[in-house]
Amino acid sequence: MKKNKLILKVLGFIFILFRLNTSVSYSQLNKVDIGIRFQKTVDLYYENGITGQYNFSKRVVFGASYITSRLGSAINSNAIKQDNFFISGAYLFRPNKMLQPFTRLNIGYFTADYESPIFNNLQNSSALLALDAGIIYSFKSPLKLNISLGYNAITGDGKQGAGTLYPVYFQTSVLWNLKKSNSK
Amino acid sequence: MKKHLVPFLAIFLITSCGKDPKIDDTMLDSGLYFDQSIYNPEKYLVSIANPTPTPTEAQKPVIIAIHGYGATTFEWDEFRNWKGLRTDFSISQVLLGGHGRDYQTFKNSTWQDWRQPIINEFEKLESQGYKNISFAGSSTACTLILKMLADHYFDNHIKPKHIFLIDPIIVPGNKTLTLVGVLGPMIGYTTVENSAGEEKYYFHYRPYETLQQLREVINIVRKDLEKGIVLPVGCTLNVLKSEKDDVADPVSAVLIYKGTKASNGTSVNVKLISSDLHVFTRLSARNPTPTTTDFLNQTNAFNEISNLLIK
Repeated sequence: MKKNKLILKVLGFIFILFRLNTSVSYSQLNKVDIGIRFQKTVDLYYENGITGQYNFSKRVVFGASYITSRLGSAINSNAIKQDNFFISGAYLFRPNKMLQPFTRLNIGYFTADYESPIFNNLQNSSALLALDAGIIYSFKSPLKLNISLGYNAITGDGKQGAGTLYPVYFQTSVLWNLKKSNSK
Repeated sequence: MKKHLVPFLAIFLITSCGKDPKIDDTMLDSGLYFDQSIYNPEKYLVSIANPTPTPTEAQKPVIIAIHGYGATTFEWDEFRNWKGLRTDFSISQVLLGGHGRDYQTFKNSTWQDWRQPIINEFEKLESQGYKNISFAGSSTACTLILKMLADHYFDNHIKPKHIFLIDPIIVPGNKTLTLVGVLGPMIGYTTVENSAGEEKYYFHYRPYETLQQLREVINIVRKDLEKGIVLPVGCTLNVLKSEKDDVADPVSAVLIYKGTKASNGTSVNVKLISSDLHVFTRLSARNPTPTTTDFLNQTNAFNEISNLLIK
């Protein structure tokens, strides 16, 4: 129930931002987007967090994200608390269109908290290396939405690696362009 | 780095292969080697061996020992052999539904089918007057036992005394199991490289339908653990988990530890075993030959189980 309330609050916040900025020109120069990211790993957890990206050029975007099950499946549950920190580089295929397909390489660090010394011998951290591909939708306002399907190349296999690092995930991010917002 | 791309490529390359495997006469899959508990149930099931226990016998511990996915009662034969002529407790070796017969029967079974013989044996023992019943599961059997706990099955039955989980699976070692819903219909089945000795006791081919069932039940139980499972009053839960296990990821033990509590709120007992075997208590027919440490781990586990049973 608390999770639903949180989601409703987040959606409400996004809606207000969207309404406040509908008059901003789409053509204004933009470099930095910040936002929130929702991720679901197939057969495992919801992991949510924050994300930001720097539009290096029309086609190339660099980003950084932090997502965690602490803001997802581990809220009021016994799910493992785990954190993902990563940076990314994306390539956009139709940069001048509102609907932009993209592909992205992500590298970073994963760590899980097993919460008991019983499990000290188990590996609970790992490098992250993932590729994802999807689409970005740029609204006329500073709002951007992206959705993608990702594949983690590094996962746990029972003998090495972190056990709750799974291969396939879906993510969606809601981004707000700071430059457009400031230049209103 | 995990080489997931390799199975992916292999899977797509064999997409054009037939969906039914070529089964030969050396395999359990052939239907020529039905599990011995089907022919001689009195040798395996306490409910059939002794359906009218005396009051003294009814108080003695009976442990229902259950094997994992794709296996047979063979998985607990060594425990029975280790027990030998001891009469201070009894072992009831249950064959999971859909198992121990042939490929098609296995292919058509669901996880609910797999679980049903566990319930049947427990309820028979209960109706026959047995008062001191425990469970020992290996691999997927642990998942099925946890599901019974999560469903509050024991609320309306006598409470089990002890539950032992050997290498429980909540998180699979091979994470491609998560993709079986998409890839399964294309590949039809997967293959396990059994040793020659294992071929008559473990399915060589694993139909994707059963892998989907496995995936389903471990996902359901993982979510049950996230919500929390409380043990019946007076029941202990004891997890013994290999530290390295490419079938049941050791992190499964973490999820059980976090997700299960005794009725008085205390934590369950978890012990990590220095082993890289899946179901480290089954050493027979292994290739390569088990080490001295493997035998020591097995004996320690059997001692631990029996000591708690007769305590």
